Amino acid sequence: MSKPVILCVDDEAVVLDSLKIQLKQEFGDTYFYEFAESADEALEIIDELHEEEVEVFVIVSDWLMPGMKGDELLIRVHEKFPNIIKVMLTGQADDDAIERAHHKAHLHRCLHKPWDGKELIETIKSGLATL
Amino acid sequence: MPIIICVDDEKSILNSLQMELVSALGDEYLIETAEGGFEALELFEKLLEDNYEIPLIISDCMMPDMPGDELLKYIHTISPKTFKIMLADQTNTDAIVNALNHADLYRYIPKPWDSGELILTVYEAIKSYFKDQLLEEQNEALKEMNTTLQERSETLVQTLDNLKATQQELIHSEKMITLGQLIAGVAHELNTPLAAIRSSVENILNFLKALEQLPPFFQMLCSEHQQDFFALLKKSIQQTPLSSKEKRQLRRTLVRQLNEHAIEDATTVADTLVDMGIYEIEAFLPLLTDSKSETILEKAYQLAGLQKSAQTITFASERAAKVVFALKSFARYDQTGKKTPSNLIEGIETVLTLYHNQLKGGVELIKNYTELPQVMCYPDELNQVWTNLVHNALQAMSNKGTLQIDVALQDNQILISFTDSGPGIPDEIKSKIFEPFFTTKPAGEGSGLGLDIVKKIIEKHNGRIKVDSIPGKTTFTVSIPVNPNEETCHV
Repeated sequence: MSKPVILCVDDEAVVLDSLKIQLKQEFGDTYFYEFAESADEALEIIDELHEEEVEVFVIVSDWLMPGMKGDELLIRVHEKFPNIIKVMLTGQADDDAIERAHHKAHLHRCLHKPWDGKELIETIKSGLATL
Repeated sequence: MPIIICVDDEKSILNSLQMELVSALGDEYLIETAEGGFEALELFEKLLEDNYEIPLIISDCMMPDMPGDELLKYIHTISPKTFKIMLADQTNTDAIVNALNHADLYRYIPKPWDSGELILTVYEAIKSYFKDQLLEEQNEALKEMNTTLQERSETLVQTLDNLKATQQELIHSEKMITLGQLIAGVAHELNTPLAAIRSSVENILNFLKALEQLPPFFQMLCSEHQQDFFALLKKSIQQTPLSSKEKRQLRRTLVRQLNEHAIEDATTVADTLVDMGIYEIEAFLPLLTDSKSETILEKAYQLAGLQKSAQTITFASERAAKVVFALKSFARYDQTGKKTPSNLIEGIETVLTLYHNQLKGGVELIKNYTELPQVMCYPDELNQVWTNLVHNALQAMSNKGTLQIDVALQDNQILISFTDSGPGIPDEIKSKIFEPFFTTKPAGEGSGLGLDIVKKIIEKHNGRIKVDSIPGKTTFTVSIPVNPNEETCHV
């Protein structure tokens, strides 16, 4: 049985690298971490993992990305997998988008860049606690 | 009524003179008389004081109290406009010359005079007097007009100066508006590197907290393993950046290989190896198959992470610096008013750096650059041109589509064009877009000065801007001459 996955989505590789270091430092081998540089890639990964019967616990997504934006991604994910904890991590707070994500994707929380590592961990932990 | 003064010491002559004049001019002129120079002067001064007009004085030449030429000389000093006629005979040459030279004598009439000639001369004198007066009045009016004109032209010059200053301020404030619109995007642009720096520093600090674990760890490694361990780190430092997809593929390959070697927890190990940039495991099998492989890999990962964090900080601060530099060169306000040599592509790149965030949202950017010579120009004003054209292009296609920037050099002209894939500019407004205050945006959103200012800035560089637009393809082309000698012909 594979470990559950935390999936991070951001078009900036440097952000993904940072997230991975922080997550791994905190949660170590408890989870497995996947990374996508676009919303499309994220959806692909989720489908693949689903086929492999690997569960995604948390998705942390940037908002402003080329192509599909974060709120739309989270809404799509929510339609298929309502149980996945959805967190938005954005530098540009588009209030409408956040509002949409809250309503239609049951957004757990929205964090702002530059984020605080502890806050990120707390957010994910509090999300996981609701599972 | 104007007054004509007659002066003669001989009463009979004076009377006949007066009578002749009265009969010729009596309706229109008062004829006053004086029997000597002093009396004439006294009369003259009094009449002047009372503001009478005295077009003419006729004086005898030989008078006991004051010679006629002296009288006229004096009259000339107090009333130069009055015409002077002297009654004289051929013997008075010196007096005539004196009066001609110093009293601007109009005529002398020999005694005894011919009545017709006298009247004719008097008429002519009076006519000349009023002609002079008219001329003078006209002259005066002209002078006044001239002064008014001069004042007006001074006002105009002043107004023009004010307008120029206002225009300069408008250009500046338009730039600041654009800058304001950019700020949100730029903030994001700075946030990403800041976030990376922040988490990298956290990572480094976390590692330092566990520093004391290092000595026992190295003691635990046998010397061969120590060598392998450092080889692993060295390899890790040389890693090339890969996309998340590539990393996943490599991880899968590694998982297979690790399974072949019966290494436990292959997925986690493969993930860590990929993070460290280790894609071939043959050389590191001794480490990976060791009983303490988990600890070894963890320490290697942490140490490699240090290196990686340092790289991230370097990369991120370079990126932040680039954004700050772009902001600085954009916000710069050159007050010297002098052209400086500059590379136009650098300016375009500055603007693109500031728009990076808006561009990446869904715009494919195609750049066809040729190398350009340095051009004498106002770089900060040209930046405003590029900003405006990029901004308009993005707005025209609602931030989704293709933006193509072509830079070419042709016949000593630099051609820079911005082509967007937006819906195009309707024909009916195409001719208006460069007009001041023309805007398609709702009131309050755009000043409508953008393209007008763009055009003015380009004209300042002796350049031109044109637009070609069909649905799906709108191109603004700016041409600027390379040769700096062609400047100064436009104002």
